[in-house]
Amino acid sequence: MDIALQQLVNGLTVGAFYALIALGYTMVYGIIRLINFAHGDIYAAGAFLGLSLYALLALLHIQNPVLTTLLALVVSMGCTGLLGVLLYRIAYRPLLHARLSILISAIGGSLTLEYGLFLIYSPSFLVYPHLFGRAGPALGDLAISWLQVIIFVSSLLLMAALYVLVHRTKIGMAMRALAINQDAARLMGIDVNRVIASTFFLGSTLAAFAGVMTGLYYSQISFLMGFLVGLKAFTAAVLGGIGNIPGAVLGGFLLGILESLAAGYFSSRWKDVVAFVILIVILVARPRGLLGERVVERM
Amino acid sequence: MRRSLACLAMLALLVPAAALGVGAQGATVKIGVPVPLSGGNAKMGDDIAKAATLAAEEWNAKGGVLGRKIEIVSFDDACDAQQSVTAAHKLLDAGVAAVAGGYCSSAAIPASAVYHDAGVAFVADASSNPKLTDQGFENVFRVIGRDDQQGPYAAGFMIKTLKGKKIAIVHDNTAYAKGLADATKAAVEGAAGVQLVFFDAVTPGEKDFSAILTKVKSLKPDVTYYTGYYPEGGLIAKQFKELGVPGKFMAGDANNDPTFISEAGNASEGVFVTSTPLPQDQTTAKSFIDRYKKRWNQDPGPYSALEYDAVSVVLDAIKRSGSADRGTIVKAIAATKGYSGATGTINFDMKGDRKSVLYITYIIKGGKFVPYGM
Repeated sequence: MDIALQQLVNGLTVGAFYALIALGYTMVYGIIRLINFAHGDIYAAGAFLGLSLYALLALLHIQNPVLTTLLALVVSMGCTGLLGVLLYRIAYRPLLHARLSILISAIGGSLTLEYGLFLIYSPSFLVYPHLFGRAGPALGDLAISWLQVIIFVSSLLLMAALYVLVHRTKIGMAMRALAINQDAARLMGIDVNRVIASTFFLGSTLAAFAGVMTGLYYSQISFLMGFLVGLKAFTAAVLGGIGNIPGAVLGGFLLGILESLAAGYFSSRWKDVVAFVILIVILVARPRGLLGERVVERM
Repeated sequence: MRRSLACLAMLALLVPAAALGVGAQGATVKIGVPVPLSGGNAKMGDDIAKAATLAAEEWNAKGGVLGRKIEIVSFDDACDAQQSVTAAHKLLDAGVAAVAGGYCSSAAIPASAVYHDAGVAFVADASSNPKLTDQGFENVFRVIGRDDQQGPYAAGFMIKTLKGKKIAIVHDNTAYAKGLADATKAAVEGAAGVQLVFFDAVTPGEKDFSAILTKVKSLKPDVTYYTGYYPEGGLIAKQFKELGVPGKFMAGDANNDPTFISEAGNASEGVFVTSTPLPQDQTTAKSFIDRYKKRWNQDPGPYSALEYDAVSVVLDAIKRSGSADRGTIVKAIAATKGYSGATGTINFDMKGDRKSVLYITYIIKGGKFVPYGM
């Protein structure tokens, strides 16, 4: 039983990362029907920007781990958000009405970011500072650290905040309007470009949060780190029903748990096979994803 | 008219370039060095390429070989099967006389077939998968030991020195890691009173191994042996401690790097690593380390001395045979008799494997690799 519980904790931790990144995929898809292949690399960029900030703060002799982490998170999220907007302006905006070209542009954006990090930072992987120890709540034999708790709770909070933003604010209303009909939204006086840009900003900040947390939790980052995780997060978004915010979260956690159980009770080598076979079965039964049908409106 | 002028101008540019190209090929002896220069193992590749450059510079300072200067030509193989084949073709196009380098076995094995077809000698410095020399290619040699030599050594250490009764083995399905894991498995299963409780692979490139380690934890092994590379190795060592898996953690020679320690942090304390001795623990390598540090302002990597020897063996063969002809070099390398290099005396057996390779175990203490029990 302990083992099953531990596997659940493992799965939820990985799932939190998938969910945070899946939100960016799902928001952009909901609004402009674009699979933003570069999103995984935005996540990597967030991790690297966070590391730069840690290095800068260390130079300034600011050592308090909580303070440095908060600063690293805020600055990295802000800068990565702007990077996301920049990506939109350069790579996507001129191609908004060319469905195929914009996909190619997304792949180009992905490669540019990956090899930009490669050239600016390092071809090898970099190591984050070890700021938080292994201590955690005492729950018997269960190994869980405070950092895991923080990752899990803050990812849920961020997702809730995003949900509120989309459903209870004016900009959120504009986003939902865009998702339904872009031309009608424009006729109603919505600044379409600004709304799309803010969607990219929001998605990228969440990815940056995941990036910095990855660095802190796993302590290793590399320029290709976004590739595999981006693929999994995209899968999570599809599983939950792409374009749907609670769906992305559900998909992320579900994929994390499935992988963890498959590795724990089957074989680590077959983990992806098992997890993805289950995904295919779910998608055959519910082609629009878990929450894709119930919620008529996207987002 | 304008177009023909442009053509003429281009021709004028091309002719001297072509002449220079031919001239350059005659003037230098090119040694190909394929290594990973991007991806998780880029640091190892950089350490290896630097050692090759140092060897060439030292020979050049003494007048080169056969009166010609030596040139190192290096391409990125990214530890990837496809890219290593591309790199191999690029090296052949560049007109290399022989190849000395490589890191990942999964990259070296496919590339070795390309070198074999071209009849070019390939001296591997770090690729230890048995298959590399078991293919029966007369042009392939290696200065490092084989995994089926390290495997039994690792099994013996776990069983005799660490008194392990229940052993878990984790690999990553790459040629090197799987080869070492299989060799260790065979030796563990052959020992009386010892049980192999776990044998499975992780996916390279991932960061979270808690699921597989939770499974290992439930089996309560005395020793867990990880045979993959250090980018994942450091993470596994860290998560091993975080999850409170019982028993000792031991890793193969691809984890013998300071980045393993910086990645795992405190969790690396007390981790065992099986390896050939590092340059600093070999009396023969003392002067090599000094020269390497002086040239590059940094410590040599775990495979730097081996690469230095690989290049030197090739150059020695060229010098002995008096020819930079590809086929002649292959024969001359095979005839190497007791070449004394930075990693000790080098002789090759019929397969091209190095004779008498020594393995030792390191323990990580105070953030450093310390030879265990010495």
